[in-house]
This record gives sequence, C-alpha cells and structure tokens, in this order.
Amino acid sequence: MLDQSNPFTMLRLVSWVVWKIPSRRPLKMAGFSHTEAGSSLDMMDAAELAPTASLRKKYFRHALDEFRHSRLFHERAIALSRGSHAADVLEDAEYSASHGIRGETSLYERLGETEFLAFVWLHERQGARQFGLYADLMKHDAASSAMFAEICADEEYHVSYSRRELDRIEIQKGPREVRGAIRRLRLRRAREAFLRTSHGFGHVMAGLWLTVIYFGIVAPFSLAGRRSAPAAGLVATPGASARARLEYEVQG
Amino acid sequence: MSDYVLGISAQFHDAAAALVRDGEIVAAAAEERFSRIKHDSALPFRAAKWCLEHEGIRPDDLAAVVFHEKPLRKFERLMITQINAFPRSLEAFRRTALSWFPDKLWVRGALAKGLGIDARKVIFSDHHLSHAASAFYTSPFEEAAVLAVDGVGEWASTALFDASRNGIERLSEIHFPHSIGLVYSAFTAYLGFQVNDGEAKVMGLSSYGQPRYVDEVRKILRSSETDGITVDLSYVTYQHSATQSFSARFEQLFGPARSGDARLDITTPEGRRYADIAASLQAVAEDCVVDLANGLQRQTGRTDLCLAGGVALNSVINARLTSRTQFKRVFVHPAPGDDGCAAGAALWAWNEVLAGRRGPALTRPGLGKAWSNGEIAKLLADLDIKHTAFDDEDAMIASVVDDLVDGKVAGWFQGRFEWGPRSLGHRSILADPTRPEMTERINRKIKFREQFRPFAPAVLQGHEDAYFEMAPGTELLMPWMLGVFPVKDGARALLPSTTHVDGSARVQSVDDLANPLFQRLLIAFGRATGHPVLLNTSFNLKGEPIVTSPLQALRTFYSSELDVLYLGNFRVINTAIGKHFYE
Ligand SMILES: [Fe+2]
Ligand SMILES: [Fe+2]
Ligand SMILES: [Fe+2]
Repeated sequence: MLDQSNPFTMLRLVSWVVWKIPSRRPLKMAGFSHTEAGSSLDMMDAAELAPTASLRKKYFRHALDEFRHSRLFHERAIALSRGSHAADVLEDAEYSASHGIRGETSLYERLGETEFLAFVWLHERQGARQFGLYADLMKHDAASSAMFAEICADEEYHVSYSRRELDRIEIQKGPREVRGAIRRLRLRRAREAFLRTSHGFGHVMAGLWLTVIYFGIVAPFSLAGRRSAPAAGLVATPGASARARLEYEVQG
Repeated sequence: MSDYVLGISAQFHDAAAALVRDGEIVAAAAEERFSRIKHDSALPFRAAKWCLEHEGIRPDDLAAVVFHEKPLRKFERLMITQINAFPRSLEAFRRTALSWFPDKLWVRGALAKGLGIDARKVIFSDHHLSHAASAFYTSPFEEAAVLAVDGVGEWASTALFDASRNGIERLSEIHFPHSIGLVYSAFTAYLGFQVNDGEAKVMGLSSYGQPRYVDEVRKILRSSETDGITVDLSYVTYQHSATQSFSARFEQLFGPARSGDARLDITTPEGRRYADIAASLQAVAEDCVVDLANGLQRQTGRTDLCLAGGVALNSVINARLTSRTQFKRVFVHPAPGDDGCAAGAALWAWNEVLAGRRGPALTRPGLGKAWSNGEIAKLLADLDIKHTAFDDEDAMIASVVDDLVDGKVAGWFQGRFEWGPRSLGHRSILADPTRPEMTERINRKIKFREQFRPFAPAVLQGHEDAYFEMAPGTELLMPWMLGVFPVKDGARALLPSTTHVDGSARVQSVDDLANPLFQRLLIAFGRATGHPVLLNTSFNLKGEPIVTSPLQALRTFYSSELDVLYLGNFRVINTAIGKHFYE
C-alpha cells in the first residue's frame, strides 16, 4: 500500500515507473486481487456482526463490491500475462484471500464500530485516490484503465458512506469520538508498520543465522555420517499401539 | 470424568476441530469454514470455540484436548531428512526452522492458552492412528482391517492396522519418503495444479486419458503385497526441497511439465499427453492401494476394510477395492483427509486412553453449525431482500422442485453444514441432471472453474441400481459421495450433466438417516420427473471454502449467476442488489 502522506507527485512518479514495466503488471494486479478479497472478508465479518440493519446492509453491499473487484483484478492479471508462465499459475491460483492467517477474531471485533468505520474511510479514500491515478496513468492500456475507473467509482461510494456514518457518530457522540478513533488508527498503523519492518529485519537476520547454523551444525552431522535414511517397504511395528496408549502425554 | 473430548488437527493443511461426547461426534468443523481461508492450517480456535458453544460447555468441561499427531517426531523427521540432504536442503532447513521454532513446536502451550484450559489436559495421538481411528470408530464394523494412506505424518506415509474390541493395533508402516500421496502430489505439481488442492483435478483429468504411461509411472512408484511401496527417489525432490517436488529426471521421463500457455486444452496432443499421464498415475496408485489392501487382508484375515488418509479422497480407488481384493465391505470416514484427524484423535483418546464405551456408527454428515428460520428471516429483513417465505418444509420443497424442473440452478442452504470436503445436501448447488447444458453453465457461469471437472449425482437410496453399476460392498461409501461408479448404458443419456466423459459418476445416496430433508426433496423431484436424482455440487465459487452462514450464501448467490436460493424456508431470486444499499 502506498502511504497517503506521500506527496501526490511522488506517488504519481513511483506509480508511473511501476506500471511502466510490463512484466510487473500482472503481479501488481494479482496483489490487488488478494487485497480486495481480504477486504471483502473483513466486510463480511462486519456485516455478520453489525448492530443495526442499516449498517449491515452497507457492509454487505461493500463486501459484494470488494469481491467483484478481486475478481476483476484477477481476470486482468490473467489477461495481461496471457501466453507467459504467469498466466498458467494465475489461472489456477485462487482469487480469494486463500493464503495467510486471519487471526482468531475479526478486524471488526478488534477495532469496534467507530474505529472500524474510520479504518474503512481512510483506506477507501486512499484506494480511491490510488485507483483514480492508475486509471489516468494506464491510458495506453484501455481495458485496464477502464477497470480502474470502474473500481474507483465504487471506492468513492465506500468513502462517502463511511464518511456519512462517521458524521452521524459525531453528531451522536461528539466529534471527539471520531477524532480519537482516527488518531488511534494512525498510531496503530505506525506501530504495525514498525512491527512489519522489524519483523522483516528479524526474518532476514534469522535467515542469516540459520545459514550459519546450517553450515556450522548441520554440515558436521551430515559429514559425520548420514543418519540412515528409513528403509523402503513395510516396517513391522510390534507394540506400537500399546506404546501410543501409554505415551499419550508425550509430544514426540 | 467428563464425557467430552475435543480433537484438534492443524499445522499442515485443513485444520479442524471435532467434539466427541460419549464416544460420538456431536460437532465438527474445518477451520476454513469459519476463517474463510481455504485449507487454513492455523490452530483451529474458531472451529473449536464453536464446538464448545454448540454443546453449551466450557473449556473446563473437557476431559482432554487431543492433538492429531506428535509434533516433535515430525520435527525430528524434517531435521534428519535435511541433514541427509546437505547441502541441497539449505532453503528447506531455513523454512522449517522459521516455522517450527517460533510456532509449531509449542502446540501444548498454544492450545492451552488459546482454549483456556490446563496444559496437562492436552495430549497427543499419532497421525496415522488418528486417521485410522476416524474411520474405524465411526464405521459400523465390530472388527476390521484399517489402512491409512496419505502424504506423510510424523515418519509414516502409510500404516496398516488391525482393529477390534481391543482397540486399533498397528501392524506395520511405510516411512517417508516412500509415499503414494507425495508421489501423487508431485504429479499434481507436474501437471500444473496446486499441491494439496489440485489432486482432485488430476483425478478428474485422468478420465480424459488412456493409461499409456503406466510403465513409466511404475519406474517411480512400485508396490507389492509383501513389501508395500517403494519410490525411486531420483525422480522426486520433495524429500529435500520445500518448493519443488519432481526432478529433472522426472521431466526427462515424461517431457516438460505443464506451463506456458494458459488453459489445459484436452483436444490438443499436449493436453492429451497430460491426461494420459494422469490416467497412468491413477492406474498405478490404484494398484498400490490394492496391493497394500491385499497384503493387509492376508495378514489379518478380516473381511471388512476401513480406508483412511488423503488417498481415500480418491473415490475411483475406493469404489474398486471390494472387487479387486478379498475384502467384502469398505468404509471411509466422510473426512478422510487431515481434517478428519481431529475426529480421529478425539475418538482414539475416548476409546483407548480414557477407556470409554464405543459410540454408535456415524450416519449423518451434518455436524457443523446451523441457522434457524428466525435468524434467516431477520437477516433477510435487515438486508431488505425480497423473498418468499413458506409456511412449512413441504411447501418449500414443492417450490424447489418447480424451480429445478423449470431448468433453474438453485442454491440450497439447509440445517447444519457438512463435515468433510463434500457438499451432501446441506450447503449445495442443485440442478436437474437430465439437462445436458447444466455442466457448462454451472462450471462457467456459477463456479468459474475448469470445464473438465464433473458434477455428482445425488440419488434416493434404493434407486442406485437403476442408474449405476454398483460394486457389492461399497454401500457405505455412498452417503459420503466417496465412490465413483460406472453409469449404466441406458442411464448415460438420461443423466448427461452428472456423467463424466468416461461414463462414470461420483454417486451420493441419500436416506432419512443421513439427511431427511434432502431425502424428501429427492422423493418429490422423483415424483415430478420420474427420476429421483439431482445434480449436487458444493455451494462455493472456485477457490473459496464452501459457504458456512446464510450471509455467505447470499454473497455467493449475488456474485454468481445462480438463479434462485433456498435459505431454510425462504426463497430468494437473483436480482441485482443496487447502490441504494449505501444510501
Ligand atoms: Fe475495492
Ligand atoms: Fe473499496
Ligand atoms: Fe494425513
């Protein structure tokens, strides 16, 4: 995701470079497809749990939009990579957010109503800007440009309904409620960005360490004589079940 | 002692939770149904919490929480394999370490914390024992031979058991990397499908081909009744690589792996070659299972066989076992894959660790969550969705029959969702199987998936013989849709959209024990058309888990070209939902 605090011109430049490279386009599209599918799941959770019929309706409609976007991006990714190996992989790949872990509770439960709406508003505003820009930048690829424009129109709906809901909360509970939610959200984002970076850094460091361990510890074991690989064929296991009954507390 | 045992399977693919009360599964669900991540492998807390909620019990009420395998033994296998593969295993080693050290090694603590229970209540089964228990303790057999065949568990890839009143005795096993499941998955990758998901597609593809490459496949995968399975490891790389499963030598043998141009087109020579390879693999895999089963039969002298493990999802193999071996009857648990290990782990602990009394045989697949007509009515009202409400089930069923006879494709959402990977009449897409256009229509417009995947017929129990060539002793496969049978010559033209290209069908039979409402629908449809058979496919779009809740059913409905949706006693027709929803 592009940071909305970036100056717009900078965003424009970076996007232009990214979209200029044809081989990157299908991957970008596939990435958007996953993001949109993930949003659709978050909106579905919200629709399951929303306290009022009015919110439920909006969240459900929003979930339908995001799912459709996900599919549009997926189809675009395939169309753009026609004839290459990527097409094959993408064609078979799922367009739903079928990777990763979603945690034990939904985003909606974690954030609560006001913060969730603030989250939707911020993200949709950013999405609308981004896709609007892409529609503009992609003029040389009419189909992609039209798709971005179509999606952008939906995103604008998402911006406006979430803003209206936030306004409603401001009237009901005072402006502090919403301002506080937005502030907490920005803090949360900063913290998550920090965690991502440090996690990424930790991952790289762990990878390096593991390489050292691999050559330092695994290698000597391996050279000292390969542990005999299990024999092929059937191996008799007398008493195995009785042992399992006795060793039920043992992890291994 | 409490009567409740919770089984958990996780950390590879298809995580699940299953709650056993008094030796009987009372609630069970794969985590993907709640998290909506297909094949979700995370510890299944959403599913586990729902299981407890369903029975109205607290975590303290559990006698034990049983994990389906021994994580440390599995970790040991990974480490030793990687030491042996030095220096080719660097990447696999780093992946293993990064996923095991921070996470997978600490299952006991994670389960205790996540579920809010005493860590001493967490106990550990063994992967193939869990598979075996899932089949034996839900089968109607007093005693049976049990064969568990999959990719790999801790060390074993296959295990042979003898089960009786005294429990499940392990007789012998075959160790990684010699594995039918992993070789099948290597071919799945070679044929351009996703491992752990595309195996069913390989089976579907196989019926388009001729087994011309059997000798080549046998070079890789050999079997005998006395020695079990042997894999020639020069053709595969899964033993030391986490990302690549077949070797350059494999490609020398079969030609280049499928890649490049988009869709798999079976009308081209290239496409036919892939179909022929799939057919050959299928034939050899079947021979392997038959050899194992014959060896086991000779050793145990039993006449009944329970088959378990991912390979038992191969419905073609399942259906041939009674005719190709000495076994008289065969049973497969409705969730033969790793999700089923959750049920197996709990059943094993109940019967063999806690020495509880054996529960009844499993007769119904609806073990998931249900929504009442009241909840559905509120949802439809909240969402302002136009609908027809029926006073009772008979009126609803009459309307479904009218729609189906009219050529409509219907979403059917009724009662508790199914345990296992198949839709069996609780979360189904239904259509009239006598209409030839249905295959194309449902594949392209509704499920958005490959054309060569067949649809299954659901038939009223007692009428199977009118349409299908049933093998004796396979009746127990039918309620779970786990057997493929030849369609009788006269019936092929009658059931064009559920008859596969090779003249076979994956048949589900329905009785009042398994699913009374669905049975009534079949009776009514039979009265209207003369044929108590329906096209029954899972209620999901390509790449998504089967729908769980009414809201998900509605999302799927509006995201596809399904004509009509029956949610409990309510009928909804597919008219676009407008932007006014935002107003
Ligand atoms: Fe979107
Ligand atoms: Fe949006
Ligand atoms: Fe397994």
